[in-house]
Amino acid sequence: MENINMLLQGFSVLLTWQNVFVTFLGAILGLIVGAMPGIGSLAGVALLLPLTYSFNPTTAVIMLGSLYYANMFGGAFSAILLNIPGDSPAVMTALDGYPMATVKKRPGQALLVSNFSSFIGGFIGMIILTFTGPALANIGLKFGPSEMTALLLVAMTSIGWLVGENPSKGLLLTLFGILLACMGMDTLTGSPRYDFGNEYLLGGIPFTPFVIGMVGFSQVMILMDERLVKAKEVTEKLTIRGSLLTKHDLKRLLPPALRSGVLGTFMGVLPGAGATAASFMGYAVQKSFKSEEPLGSGAVEGIASCEAANNGAAAGSFAPLLALGIPGSGTGAVLLGGLMLWGLNPGPLLFTNEPDFAWGLIASLFLANVVALMCAWGVIPLLIKILSVPTRLIIPCITVICIVGSYSTSNSMYGVLVMLISGVLGYVMHKFRYPAAPVLLAFVLAPMLESNMRKSFIISRGSLDIFFDSPLSLAFMTIFIVILLFPAARAVFGSFTRTKMETAK
Amino acid sequence: MKKILAIAAIASLISAPLSAGASDFTPKKDIEWVVTSSPGGGSDIYTRFISDAMTKANLANGKTFLVTNKTDGGGEVGRLNVSRTAAGTRADHTLLTFNSGDLMPMVKNTSNRLANFTPLAIMAEDKQLLFIGESAKYKTFDEVIKAVKSGAKVVIAGSKGDDVATYEKLIKELKFTEDQLAFIVNDSTSAAITSILGGHVDLVMSKPAAADQYVVAGKLTPVLALSSTRFTGNLRDAPRLSEVGSYQDVEFPVWRGVVGPKTMSPEAAAFWAKSLKTVAESEAWQKDYIGKFKLIPSFLDQQAAKAFMTKFEQDYLKSIGK
Repeated sequence: MENINMLLQGFSVLLTWQNVFVTFLGAILGLIVGAMPGIGSLAGVALLLPLTYSFNPTTAVIMLGSLYYANMFGGAFSAILLNIPGDSPAVMTALDGYPMATVKKRPGQALLVSNFSSFIGGFIGMIILTFTGPALANIGLKFGPSEMTALLLVAMTSIGWLVGENPSKGLLLTLFGILLACMGMDTLTGSPRYDFGNEYLLGGIPFTPFVIGMVGFSQVMILMDERLVKAKEVTEKLTIRGSLLTKHDLKRLLPPALRSGVLGTFMGVLPGAGATAASFMGYAVQKSFKSEEPLGSGAVEGIASCEAANNGAAAGSFAPLLALGIPGSGTGAVLLGGLMLWGLNPGPLLFTNEPDFAWGLIASLFLANVVALMCAWGVIPLLIKILSVPTRLIIPCITVICIVGSYSTSNSMYGVLVMLISGVLGYVMHKFRYPAAPVLLAFVLAPMLESNMRKSFIISRGSLDIFFDSPLSLAFMTIFIVILLFPAARAVFGSFTRTKMETAK
Repeated sequence: MKKILAIAAIASLISAPLSAGASDFTPKKDIEWVVTSSPGGGSDIYTRFISDAMTKANLANGKTFLVTNKTDGGGEVGRLNVSRTAAGTRADHTLLTFNSGDLMPMVKNTSNRLANFTPLAIMAEDKQLLFIGESAKYKTFDEVIKAVKSGAKVVIAGSKGDDVATYEKLIKELKFTEDQLAFIVNDSTSAAITSILGGHVDLVMSKPAAADQYVVAGKLTPVLALSSTRFTGNLRDAPRLSEVGSYQDVEFPVWRGVVGPKTMSPEAAAFWAKSLKTVAESEAWQKDYIGKFKLIPSFLDQQAAKAFMTKFEQDYLKSIGK
């Protein structure tokens, strides 16, 4: 009950004209930033942070909070319409979103599914955050290096099995992603790895330009390729009415969105996991539930499971940030820097010392969720028109966005170079039917796995026991081993039943 | 008339080089201030605080500071670019935020050296402490030492750069191996604090500011001051190493400075050094920066900063056997 009172008090802080205004502003900016390939929430918040230095802290964090939050909505737009994920959590959305928009010719519904699922996932996350904020943060703390290692092992082994139809290609690409992620400074000893004597490579391959190239710029080349083969067919007229969700769609959307909302919230709380890992896990979990159509072919369930998860994670990541002063993601870390700059002391006492601030921020997330849903809904009729824009106009536009996005990550041409090279790589991979998603996921997860695993070994002096000591890591290790043994068991068992059947004949 | 014009022309010719002399440099264009870490981090806040203070006090002739975060190659690319700036107007209008945590990886992993920069000032110093968490196995540092000696493995979590150097100095003084008293490098101090809050490590190394709120909330307790003097306030109970046993105090200076490229003209260097001094002496700096981040207000001017950084580089290179 007390929490509801606090939340209502938060709303009273929020409902001044200037705070409502910045919530809208943040939500709209977040949608735009999210939809632009490469410029994700991290860059968006980082770019706007200096502007807010002179704001009052509550107003400033409300704006950045709603920007961060609405960003999760926007990322799906370009993923669904152009197969270019606007930010890294949307990589999974593209897997089903793009086929649904193009092959199934239901772009409006695909966008609406992603919007509604985002809304539901975020709403679940916020409810959990409101009622269990500090307790939730404490669950996150239970995940030490060994628990994170076990969890990440489960995630990494399921990449190949999750994405694409060919597991051996998936495995190969996962390993390739791990190899690329190994470049740059070793996080634990600070010594350079695979830098080839080049000072740029000392810092490794920057993630954002790499993603823009792999999924954005490669798509540009694919579009050019297709254009040479055939002129774009005129798609039938897309109307708002024609893109409304059917009752059946909603029925398919709800269960995965609810599940992923809860799951995503917990993923968001884990130290350093973030929204990308959450949307990936949401999708992975959906794979073990029944979907009406197979995932990857444009299934409503596929979009719903990852979009709800990443919004849940965005809300969940505020729990450790507000309750303990610990950032749950890169964007959270930037927000934390902001808190200090605005004169607040983030830490375990924030809820006690600055209740107006903490609850005002939570209340603003609720408002941002509604605002983002409305805005996104409002622009859908315009957005689906993108599909009927001639390729010759789309190509230069996307190219410019790709270049600007990769330049802005570190204000240098190095990012652009990385983007171009990975774009060519992505194109070649596409030509030979190798999916890009496993590389990207491995690239995100591998550094986390490496540092957690090595930290575990430092703690345990090299003993493997540490992974079986705590109930949490034991549980994840069991799942990991089952995943590993499952194909082998199936092969043995399968051949056994076959022989039995043959002898029965 | 012609005569007057000629005299005026000659006078302006003579006075032109004069006016560029000594302290007569004034910024003529916007100043690019390079920070080699991401927005929102400690170095970024530090840089923006100084540049804002300079703008407010009109110390830059009304020109604007363009703070650019250059994070390529772990910051090495930004540092290299600044060090290679060609002499001229550009060199006189380029500043670089330069900390102990920047210098160490730079000299360790690249051939770039302090000699390629013009030190302008050291604005503040910081020191670390070791803390225990709520459910700690060892309540004092004395217990930690005894446990390690009896074969237990104790783990410290900390951040990169400065913390690693301090840890290495500590185990050297204690005559422990890295296996006995292990250290886990985290990306940031807040990640290190996360792991001790969850009870995954025994000790955490942190600077006073990052740990402050956790000490107030009773989540962290300081057990060792890595300093030759005790800290004040809620950290005053932490003993120095020499108070724990028959050891020398362990202290590793963590500093925040500002440098220009090597090619910066002496006049420009003098101008910036003077402006930085004005900021360091201002009340706002003492209160809103030094006070808030619980730093040690040890300002070093141009000459002293150069001597200090040079010595620091030599010592560090020696310690890593380069």
